[in-house]
Amino acid sequence: MTTILVIGERDGDGLKLASLQAAGAAATLGDPVGLVMGAGLGDVPQALPAPRVLATDDPGLEHYDPARYAAVAAAAARESGAEMVLLGGTAMGKDLGPRLAAALEWSYLADCLEVAAGEFVRPNYAGKVLVRMKPDGPVVATLRPNAFPLGEGGAGAVEAFAADIPASRTVTTSIETAGAGTVELTEAGIVVSGGRGIKEEANFQLIRDLADKLGAAAGASRAIVDAGWVPQAIQVGQTGKTVSPDLYFAIGISGAIQHLGGMTSSKCIVAVNKDAEAPVFKVADYGIVGDLFEVVPALLEKL
Amino acid sequence: MNIAVLVKLVPDSETRIELQDGKVKDDAFKYILNPYDEFALEQAVQLKEAHGGKVTIVSLFGQGGDTELKKALAIGADGALVLRQPDYRGDRPAANAALLAEALAGLAPDLVLGGLQSIDFYQAATVPMVAHKLDWPHVAAVQKLDVEGDKLTAQRQIEGGVQTVEVALPALITCQKDLVKVRFPALRDIMMAKRKPFENRDVAEAGAGDLLPTAAELPLARAGGRLIEGETVAEKVEELVNLLKTEAKVL
Repeated sequence: MTTILVIGERDGDGLKLASLQAAGAAATLGDPVGLVMGAGLGDVPQALPAPRVLATDDPGLEHYDPARYAAVAAAAARESGAEMVLLGGTAMGKDLGPRLAAALEWSYLADCLEVAAGEFVRPNYAGKVLVRMKPDGPVVATLRPNAFPLGEGGAGAVEAFAADIPASRTVTTSIETAGAGTVELTEAGIVVSGGRGIKEEANFQLIRDLADKLGAAAGASRAIVDAGWVPQAIQVGQTGKTVSPDLYFAIGISGAIQHLGGMTSSKCIVAVNKDAEAPVFKVADYGIVGDLFEVVPALLEKL
Repeated sequence: MNIAVLVKLVPDSETRIELQDGKVKDDAFKYILNPYDEFALEQAVQLKEAHGGKVTIVSLFGQGGDTELKKALAIGADGALVLRQPDYRGDRPAANAALLAEALAGLAPDLVLGGLQSIDFYQAATVPMVAHKLDWPHVAAVQKLDVEGDKLTAQRQIEGGVQTVEVALPALITCQKDLVKVRFPALRDIMMAKRKPFENRDVAEAGAGDLLPTAAELPLARAGGRLIEGETVAEKVEELVNLLKTEAKVL
């Protein structure tokens, strides 16, 4: 069986869902070996579903540092005899993956949607094409969040993994987060996005209200990001985030091809738009032609 | 400060994709500057305006693309170095990074800026790979960048927040959308750009290291198009919630 190194990315006292999904995918392909890096890890490595989990706990790994994390992960890949490394496609995973691939001199595949024995599927041209790749050597791959089921259980055995941590010319001086209770866009099971149809900045509150009611993350189309109504961090589409939730609401979004590229891998899409000809209806499982200022309040009442 | 900006030419985002014999038909593609790289370029020009120095565009491409690359010069770069590779492909990050790293080592810049990702293959891979080859630090997805002496302060977008990182130069940075507002060059800048140094350099065929597609397919079209009927908004919404619970089973 192929040994597969799975990077477990710390998220507070636990691990990112995308890492648990990577462990789930690894279990279907071979023998997963986990690696968790950080400082003061405590019980965090126990949460990674893999029979063997390596833990490198060092003050120099407190915050993500590409050169350091790549050096430790490359050492772990070699030590474990891995022929594949899987990472969740998070901000860290998408950045660590290529640097690690360069360190190992392995091929790199980003944002994989399917992983089966000997074959990976990933999007090209913002999802307009899917390409199949057949690895003939070792690879590092990131997996699109929410495209794979969670691995089950926890760690079998956790072992301390001592690695040389190289000197670094970068230092993290602060981490600011939006605060507890905020649902992260790319990991959310439900996403509620608003577009130009909301007419003015203050009306984005309607989108947030619906998102809160559903325990969802709020997203936005490029139009209202460019207008400065919402931060770029929540833009869904070709120059924003790609999301694959179970349920995606496109509210007051016409459905430009650049937006659709960021959300058509959602399992179920609901569109609300007053223009029956809006292209978003062509990809929506359920569409309501109507005024969002009537539909959203009615939804809030009904849910 | 000597700044290099990595610029990639990518197919226009409006491009219709067609397949022929299991491959993407790319002979009629119209190429544009990768939008993320435009943010990198504008940021480089602003740093030059504030701190002095020069900005060099570095690109790897096949033949052509001169008009687009000269547009990049018009934004305010001082010169361009274009690596010309007969069998160029945009989806070979390892091989492309090796060539770019070699060219950058020759330029010996203090700072290298690039886009977070390119809108053709979205691997976000080339710049981190170049960083590894140069053994330099890099910071990805930067939404705010300040330079003081030989130290950078970069704010990097992470899930639900911001990581602030200080980096000693030389370093590489990948730029998130909206890091800066990209200027529209004036006619005078466009005319001046025609006289700026523009070096074409032939480079070797790609080395190994990248996995290429064995097949391409169009994604299954979503069924879509089902509109929910009802006399009133309340009726439609009730039917929608019902369908989400019982048919789609997502609530």
